Order: sequence, then C-alpha cells, then structure tokens
Amino acid sequence: MKKQFIICLSMLCTIVMQAQSSNAIVGADYFGDLKARHIGPALMSGRVSDVEQHPTNSNIVYIGSAGGGVWKSNDGGVKFNPIFDKYCQSIGVVSIDPSDPDNTVWVGTGEVWTRNSVSLGNGIYKTTDGGKNWSKMGLETSDRISSIQIDPKNPSTVYVGVLGALWSDSQDRGVYKTTDGGKTWTKLFYINEKTGCSELIIDAKNPSILYASFWEFRRSAYSFSSGGLNSGLYKSIDGGATWNKIHNGFPTGKLGRIAFSIAPSNSSIVYAVIECEKPEDKGLYRSEDGGATWKFMNGDFGLTVRPFYFSRITVDPKNPDIIVKAGLFGSLSRDGGKTFKSLGSMHSDIHDISFDPNNSEKVFVATDGGLYRSLNGGTTMEIIENLPLSQFYHVSLDNRTPYNVYGGLQDNNSWYGPSASPGGIEARDWELVGQGDGFRVYPHPTLPHIVYSEMQGAEAIWRFDTKDKQIRVVKPYPVSGDPKLRFNWNTPITTSVHQADRLFAGSQFVHVSNDMGNTWTKISPDLTTNDKTKQNQVESGGLSADNSGAENHCTIFTMTESPLTEKVIWVGTDDGNIQVTTDGGKNWKNVIANIKGLPANTWCYHIEASVFGEGKAYAVFTGYTKGDYNPYVYMTNDFGQTWKSIVTKDLPIFARNIQEDLKNPNLLFLGTELGLYITLDGGISWSKFENNFPSVAIHYMEMHAASNDLVVATHGRGIIILDDVSPLRFITNDIITKNLHFFDSKPFVMSEKSSFGGTSSTVEFVGDNPSDAAQIKYFLSKRHTFGKMTLEIFDKDGKLMATCPAGKQKGINTVEWNFNRQAPKVAKGKTIAGAAGTPPTVIAGKYTVRITKGNEVFEQQIEVLYDPKSAFTLAERKEQQQITNELFDMTQDLAYFVFIIDSWDASVADYQAKNAGKNKAADALNLELDALRDKLVVTKGDNYVGAGEPQLREKLGDIYSTIASYFGAPSSSQIENINLLKKRFSDAKVAFDKLKTNQIKAFEKELEKKSIAPPVIVNFEEFLKLD
Amino acid sequence: MKKIFLVGALSLISFFSMSQTAEEIANNYYQAIGGAKWEAVKSILMTANVDAGGMKIPLEIAQMKDGRMYTKINFQGQEIIQGAFDGKTSWSTNFMTQKAEKSTSDDNENAMRASKEFPDALVCYKKLGYTLTLEGEEKVDGVACHKLKLVKKTLLVEGKEVPNIEYYYIDKDSNVPLLKESEISSGEMKGQIGQSKFSDYQEVNGVIIPFSISQGLKDGESQAISFEKVLINASIDEKTFVYPEQ
Repeated sequence: MKKQFIICLSMLCTIVMQAQSSNAIVGADYFGDLKARHIGPALMSGRVSDVEQHPTNSNIVYIGSAGGGVWKSNDGGVKFNPIFDKYCQSIGVVSIDPSDPDNTVWVGTGEVWTRNSVSLGNGIYKTTDGGKNWSKMGLETSDRISSIQIDPKNPSTVYVGVLGALWSDSQDRGVYKTTDGGKTWTKLFYINEKTGCSELIIDAKNPSILYASFWEFRRSAYSFSSGGLNSGLYKSIDGGATWNKIHNGFPTGKLGRIAFSIAPSNSSIVYAVIECEKPEDKGLYRSEDGGATWKFMNGDFGLTVRPFYFSRITVDPKNPDIIVKAGLFGSLSRDGGKTFKSLGSMHSDIHDISFDPNNSEKVFVATDGGLYRSLNGGTTMEIIENLPLSQFYHVSLDNRTPYNVYGGLQDNNSWYGPSASPGGIEARDWELVGQGDGFRVYPHPTLPHIVYSEMQGAEAIWRFDTKDKQIRVVKPYPVSGDPKLRFNWNTPITTSVHQADRLFAGSQFVHVSNDMGNTWTKISPDLTTNDKTKQNQVESGGLSADNSGAENHCTIFTMTESPLTEKVIWVGTDDGNIQVTTDGGKNWKNVIANIKGLPANTWCYHIEASVFGEGKAYAVFTGYTKGDYNPYVYMTNDFGQTWKSIVTKDLPIFARNIQEDLKNPNLLFLGTELGLYITLDGGISWSKFENNFPSVAIHYMEMHAASNDLVVATHGRGIIILDDVSPLRFITNDIITKNLHFFDSKPFVMSEKSSFGGTSSTVEFVGDNPSDAAQIKYFLSKRHTFGKMTLEIFDKDGKLMATCPAGKQKGINTVEWNFNRQAPKVAKGKTIAGAAGTPPTVIAGKYTVRITKGNEVFEQQIEVLYDPKSAFTLAERKEQQQITNELFDMTQDLAYFVFIIDSWDASVADYQAKNAGKNKAADALNLELDALRDKLVVTKGDNYVGAGEPQLREKLGDIYSTIASYFGAPSSSQIENINLLKKRFSDAKVAFDKLKTNQIKAFEKELEKKSIAPPVIVNFEEFLKLD
Repeated sequence: MKKIFLVGALSLISFFSMSQTAEEIANNYYQAIGGAKWEAVKSILMTANVDAGGMKIPLEIAQMKDGRMYTKINFQGQEIIQGAFDGKTSWSTNFMTQKAEKSTSDDNENAMRASKEFPDALVCYKKLGYTLTLEGEEKVDGVACHKLKLVKKTLLVEGKEVPNIEYYYIDKDSNVPLLKESEISSGEMKGQIGQSKFSDYQEVNGVIIPFSISQGLKDGESQAISFEKVLINASIDEKTFVYPEQ
C-alpha cells in the first residue's frame, strides 16, 4: 500500500511539473502523417563498412554502412531493404549467428574506418527475427564496435571487440564476452584507454581459440595518429580468459593497425597485414601454425596503403591461398600472398570483401562508393543500384520549378538533381558538377546555368557553366604578403542573397568576389585563434603519413550573410570563434566569450542568420572532436552580445545544423548526429521526427521558400525532404484543443505534364516524387477510431465531385485529391472498356471540402487553378471541357441505352425460360436486340488480344478519354470522329425506336397474353445510382 | 484537490493496465469486439465502392466461418473474383481471359491454413496453437498501443516453410486493433513490411467491425477501403466460392 502511495505521489509530481511547462507543445504527438520523402540518389551510393552473408542461403546478404544503417537482401544482393532505421546508422559490424542464421543477427554500431567525417555508435543490437525487430544489448558507450564473434556451438556466448572512442581516451575499449545472449557483459581483455580492439576473430573449428588485434590510435580536429607500442596481435586459447601476444616474426618497435584473418578451410593458416615503423617491414605476414610464427610475404602498395581506412583481409572459404585485401583498389592473391593483382574496376577505397560461403566466385565488395557484386571471383564488378547511402556534406536549392537540389558527397563528387521528375527521380536525373570529395555547391542566384562547387581543402573551387560545359577554377589564391591560406577540408563557400554575382570563400580570412570569382578581396583579418600547435598537418598520420587536407585546422567553417542586410556577416571557425561584422567586413567582433557554458575552442559548425531580425542568429557547436557529445545550440537577438541556450534534455546527442522556419520563429529544425529534431515552441521542448526519417547524421538543411519544403542533407541516406512543413507553423496550444481544424492552403495548381514516366528498372533506386494532387490538410486532436468518417468535395453548386479516404491520425492529416470528378457510368459489355471510365478533371474554381465525423460536419473552401505555365487559352480549355462533358453524357446515355436493351433481353430470356417452345415475337425481338447490342458494345472475346472488334462503347471511350486527358481544344480530326460516333449512336436509337413500334410491341402483347408483367425499367437518374 | 486525486487515481489505473499479459490483452480485445456474440456469426458480407481516382469500383467481400471467402468486383458487367477459397481450392479470375485460374500450390496451402482463423487469428490463436507474446508498447497514429506478436502456423513459400508472424497494435484504451503488420514473405517486395490500419469501428449484430481498412507498405503508399454495408449471416450464393472447373 505504501509503495502504491509513493507511485501515486510521484505521478502527481509529474502532473504538476507538466503543468509548469504548459507552454511546451510536444511535436511528436502532432506530426501525424507528415512524412519524409527520400530522393537519394543511389547512383554514387556511399560508404559501405561491412558485408555479411548467410552461411547456407546465398539469397540472404546483410550490409552495414558508414552512415546509412543496416540493409538486407533476400535475393542474393539484387535488391536491399533498410532494416535498422530507428537506430544509430553508423555501423561497425554485422554478424549472423551461425546457429540460427535465419533469425539471429547482431549489429555493432560505430564505424571503424576512422576517417575525419566518421559518425559514432551507441552500442550493440540484436534481432531474433531476421531484422524486423531489434533490441539494444548494451555497450552503450562503446562508441565503435569492430567485431562480433558468436560461438558456433553455443550462441549465448558472444565475444565483442570494442575499438572505442576515436576522439578521446576511453576505458570502454577491449574484448567483451557475454554468456547469456547479451544480457550481461564481462570485459575480458583491456590494454589502455588509447588502444582498442580493431579486429577479433574466433576459430570456428575450436571456439576456445580467439585472436584479437589491438590498435593505438587517436584523432583530433587537427591531427591523426596511428600506432604505438601498445598495438599488437593477441591470441587466447581458453575462451578469452588469458591472452598472449603472438609477434614471433613481426616487425619490432611501434605497430599500427593490424588486419588479420584465419583461413576458414585451415585455421592454422593466419594472415596479418601490419602497419609498422620501417616501410620495408610493412605488409602481409603469413603464419601456418596458428600465429606461433610469422613470415613476411609481400609489401605491395595495395597492402600497405592507409591502414586506418583499409585494414580488412578476407580468405576464400574453400582455398586458404586465395586472399583479398581491402585497399585503394582491393588486392587479390591466388598464391597464398606471394603476389597480388587488383580487383576489377569499381569505385576506389575498398573496406570489406565477402565471399559467398558456398560459392567463392560470388563476391561482394564494400567501397566508398557503394556495394559491388562479382560473379567471377572479383574480376568484373557490378554496382548494386538501390542503395541510397550517399553522404552529403551540404545542400543548397534554386528557385526553379521543380527546384533543384545541390550538394557535395564524401568521396563521390558534387551534384545537382531535381526535387521531382516524371516517373520519379532517377539516377539519370543527376548532373555531375564537381570532382573529388564534394562539399558545398551553389547555383548562381540569377543565372541558372552557373554552378559553383569545390573539392577538399579548396584544392579547387569551380564555376561551372552547365550550358557550354566550361569549367573555370575561381578559388582565391594567396597574394603578395599573404600567409599560407588555411582552407578547411569542407571549405565554406556561399553566394549572396543581396548581390547576384557575389561569392564568399573562407580560409582563415573572409574572401569576397563581386564578379563570380574572377577577382577576390579579403574583407577580414585572420578570424581564427591561429594556434600554431594545431597547424602541423604534415606530421599527421602516425606510422603512415596521412596529410590529405582532412585535418586542416584554425579555419573558417561557417559563414553566412544576414538575409535582411548585406552589412551583417557571421563567421564561425573550427577552433571555436564566432565573429560578426555589422558594416560589411570593415570591422569584426569576436563574440564567443559571450556564450556561457560553452567549452573553449568548440567547433562552430553552423550559424543561421535569422529572417526575423538583423541581430538575431542561431549558432550550433560540435564538441565531438574533443570527445564531447553534448549538444550546443544558442540563440542571440543582439548581434551576439548575449546568447541563450535552446538545448533541452530532449536532445540526446550533438547537433550540426539548425534551420529556422521562414514564417514562424518558434518553429526550428535541428539536425543531429542521430536524426532530425523539431521544436514548435522556440526550443522549450524538442521532438524527434521519425516518420520515414532514419536516425541518420544530418550535416545541413535548407528550406525552400516557395514550397515550404525542408530539404535535409544526410551523411548516409542522401537527400531527405519534408514536403510542405507549413502545417507545423500553425500547431499552437489553441489548435491542439480543437476536434478538427483545417489548415489554410494556397490555391492548388493542376499541373500539366507528361505521364510517360521514367526508364529505371525495378532494381534501381528511384526517388519519390512530391504529390502533385491537391493536399487537403487538417488537424485532429484525437485519432478517429469509432464511427464513420468521410471526406467529400463539392463544387460551388453543391454537386458532389469526389470522395476521398479521410485521414484519421492524431495530429496532421493530409488527404490527396487528384482534381478528378467522378467517372461516367459505362455500358455493360463482355469486356472492360477502361478508357471509357476515365474521370474528367474539374475546372478551376472554388470547392468545398466536407468532413463528416460521426454527427459533426466540418467544411473548408479550397481553390483550384489551371497551370499558369500552360500554353492553353481559356477559350481552348472551355472547348475541351464542353466536348468532354458532351462525351461524358454520351457515355452515360449509351450505358442507359444498353441497360434498356439488356432489360428487354432479360425479359425475353425470362419469357423463354418459362415458356417452352418457339414464340415468334420473343425470338424475333431476341434476334433484333442481339444485333443492335452487337453494334453498341463488345459482346465476345477477352480483355487482351482475343478481344472482339471495338464497337460504339469502345470507340466512344477512346475518343472521350483522349480528349478528357488533354488540356487544350480537340483537333478537327477528333471532332470529325466524334460526329461519326454521334451518327452511329443516333442510328442505333432510330433502330431501337423501330423495335419499339414493331418487335417490342409484339412482345408486349405476348406478355400481356400470358399475364406477364413487362420489364420495369428505372429512369436514367435511378439507373445512375445502380451498381 | 479532488480533481488532482482523481487524475492520480486514473494514472494508477493506467499504470496497472500496463502490467497486463498478452493473454489478457487478447481477451480484452475479444470482449471489445463483441465477445460471445461472435459465436453466432456464420458469415460476413461486406460491400464497398473503391474509388480509383474518380472511377468507382463496386466490391463485395464474403467470408464464411468455415474459411471460405471471395472478393467480387462487379465492373461494367463483368464479375471478377479475386482471392477466392472454396475450402479446397484457392483461385482468382484472370483479368485478361476472364477465366478462373488456380493459385499456386503454396498459396493454396497458405489459404487453407488461414481459413481456420475466423473471425481473426487473435481470437482463435490458442485453439490453433499459435504463440502470443507482448512485445511492449508503441504509439500508432498518436495512440498508445500494446504491441503483440503472434507467431502463426508457418507459411509455405517456394516449397519451404517460413515463419508467419503478425504484429497487432491494440489501442490501450479501447482494446481494438489500430494496426497489423507483417513481413512480406515472397515476391519482389519480400522483406518489406506490409501494414493494415483499422478505423471506423461500428457495431453490427452485436459485433464490432472496422468499416475502414487502409493497406499498404510501412512508410509507403497505402490504399483505403471503406465499407458501405457489413451484413452478418446474410444470404450468400455459395456457388460463388467454388472454383469453376474448366
């Protein structure tokens, strides 16, 4: 009783606390059917980190991706489905339980190919139903899991290699073991806070034997270090209880990352690829005695290149001498490691190779540019075309209709593509506008054929003329007196909303060009801390030099002009400064010290200059490069003099980007490392948006003003769009108490476009199009579950035009109406005349939407417009509508006419059934009715090539459909055809009138004689109501 | 103060309702949809006009207690039968030839197995030896629901027995299902999650029937069907179920 009282008390406390934050509007309750739309693309895909194949069923393949989650194929890798969207999308490893391969799969999060842009993990997960449901099984702070090894004889025993944190010390590194299927974990082996387990492999033939490589490594914002005295390869022969270093034959001194593998067909043979101090000792080593002794085999470039990125070696399941090493191109040996050749042509940067366990010719290869499959042992490679794993760094938009999306991809160039395309957004719709690693891409504000793009570290900033295909490098170069220009890996460039030809670029200085990049001026001093200790990138890499530009530091990272005035420019630097000018760059003020609670030198990732005030801005900082995963998001209204944090406990992880709504200052979108968060109340509360939006890292967002679309650049799932977020602007404390509330809508445009569609095959990813129907949006305070709910649309005269299935979710509901009114009733026949059932399009004008919900009725006016881009005049439209209506009526008249004939025919049949023997009147009428019907509708054949000769119904249907589906006036040839059909119909009517005065009359007499009632033929209006 | 106490008491009730077992939830569901009234139900006949972008397609769905079923489309004078099962044979009308064609052996066997689930697998799961577990709580359309996992008799897919699992999301307040989910087990969509959403529940002859069902892919497109009439124990032409031998 006492316990219950305490529970009751704590609940009351909660109620009181909720009352205190009554201004909060918890968005997650109201997002309703507002749903994300994925447009990919997949033509350049993205980094795949791990591949796992089912041990016996070659149709089942899993992949883990760098930032796009886990995908499963059920058809041997032809098509994949995402199966891990709710969870962290950065994947270290996927492992299938060999004892229950159809159902039990483990996923370790946190990619282990530790480049600068890598995302982080948050633990280990398990499914026991083949990926439909997942449970988190702990190790939440592991950061990066390199290996999961399941005891083939006892699936409750699982070993896990934790590489651990990339950017800081961690005591979570090491080898872990569970003996209860993941409920509890024991750390078996730990070296120190700097050295993690980079690979762990169990001997499947003797599960007491385990090998583990340990790697001493560290990345910072400005440097990378691979190697140390604590790196090494270890072996346990007692299920992980004790471990011994197995270095007999290894190079001495510091070691770096070690890739190794056991030959599945002979577990005495072990290969290791070693990073070490002396270049001549780097390379492949082979042991034939289970690691007791090692022999150097080969030091080719393909084996030793970038160990931090490519430390994976795979041995053929059947032949211990066939091995493949990940690398720049992937290296294949068929002689036990003596010699190597490159794998077949594909995207460079190979991270994992997986042989089909039962067919070594079938190989999957994970690269920076997607997943490849080979059916001839790695000689020729084909890309899997439905993995939209693209890793965008940025996105920008233009103002065309449909608008284009511009952005650069990690290791996959720069692109732009449409937000809508006939048949869906296909690979062929995307245009290449830059090479290398792509980052920020901008269209010229007024010249649609000019696009700016860049590659890493501003090695090039291009101005690309898409019309004449001219590429010009327009980056700012150092001039006399300049120090070395420090450009970030992801260099900020941006256009201006105030001057069309203006282009900004940021090094440690702000550079401005007012002639599209031909000439540049510096308008700032060095705005960074210019800390020399963070500028020694030439030493970066540790045992293997790695100075790619990825560690360039003390640079400007974000730069934005106020949309209200060109005088205000904000700059954020990667070493933690915020600088602002209010006079167009003459004077700059560092306002970072005004932010309370922000650790020093925290990377300023994004500044959003507000549309609601010249002094208003938002700043987002990331501390992850120092191991700080807290979110830092601030708002200022006074040019940075004071700042307010808008972070709440709702945000579990750091953010990179914020997007302000353009109309409602309380509506903000936050792009975090684990998905999208939205506040409806100016940051009092945040809700995760999960409607078809994975928990993917978001690097940038942009809002399209004309469409109110939020366009999100994800680093692993391509571009994701939330179409028309405007309803979110109107969710207030007042609205949420209403049973039903219609959102106002702009007039809907009936677009006129090709219906021919696209050309992609079913194995290619095709991005979804936005709806081009009228979207009727309303809010429900509660889900509708009991009683009838309908949605109808009426014209201005109250005539029913359409009924649509009503949305019934709590929150936002969107009902689509395709501008069609109800189709004509079509005559019965032996076949189906599909064209005759074409619903006509409504005319432009005002319509009433009526929702009936139980006894309540809610109404809203909407307006429908013709496509303003259309070439058709109103007179042409009127002609089209008039003839469409004429043919519509004719179709229904014909249906009724056939119905009358059928009614008489049924009467005759009934008479004949009841009256044996021949009757002249009945038989004659029967023959005449059949002959007449044969000219009106198809009466034999099927719905394919056995179809009968088209008759009036089919011919009328064809011309009706042709005219109803076009927006302009019918052609003279079509009019002539219509006249012909009219004549045919009137001839039929004349023929029937003759029947009425002759054969029907005679038959009626016969009926009368037999006291049989003539057929009851309902009138036209009643006929239309019949099924 | 009295009000706060009442709120507290209600919270307690909802707290204890969280601790229901799967069996209790299934039983509450059965009671919520009519309970013992279902024993008198021998057949269900549902009619609808499906709106295909302005084109009305009249539809009739019949389901018998013994598992026989059909969906009849009556269009421009043509009767097209889809998803029929006569107790032995599963069949549909071929749209092109307008002739009846048998389903695959796999589908026939699966129809045979499913035919025992009248009126719903969650009602008769015990009798059929299915396993029901409570997987937790999830929101559907903003409503807190119990998530139940029902492991049914396996499906036959390409000659192999594969798991047949349905997830039910039962409204915690009203105890009726708002959503059913299952993985598509064959064809090009294999591996994707199919969903059916239920609403517009109404009482007919003492039993509660969802008059609106929306079917589609999780996070994808869906098609709603709203029934105009649902008749219990109506007269149904039994010949319609039967596969017409060619």
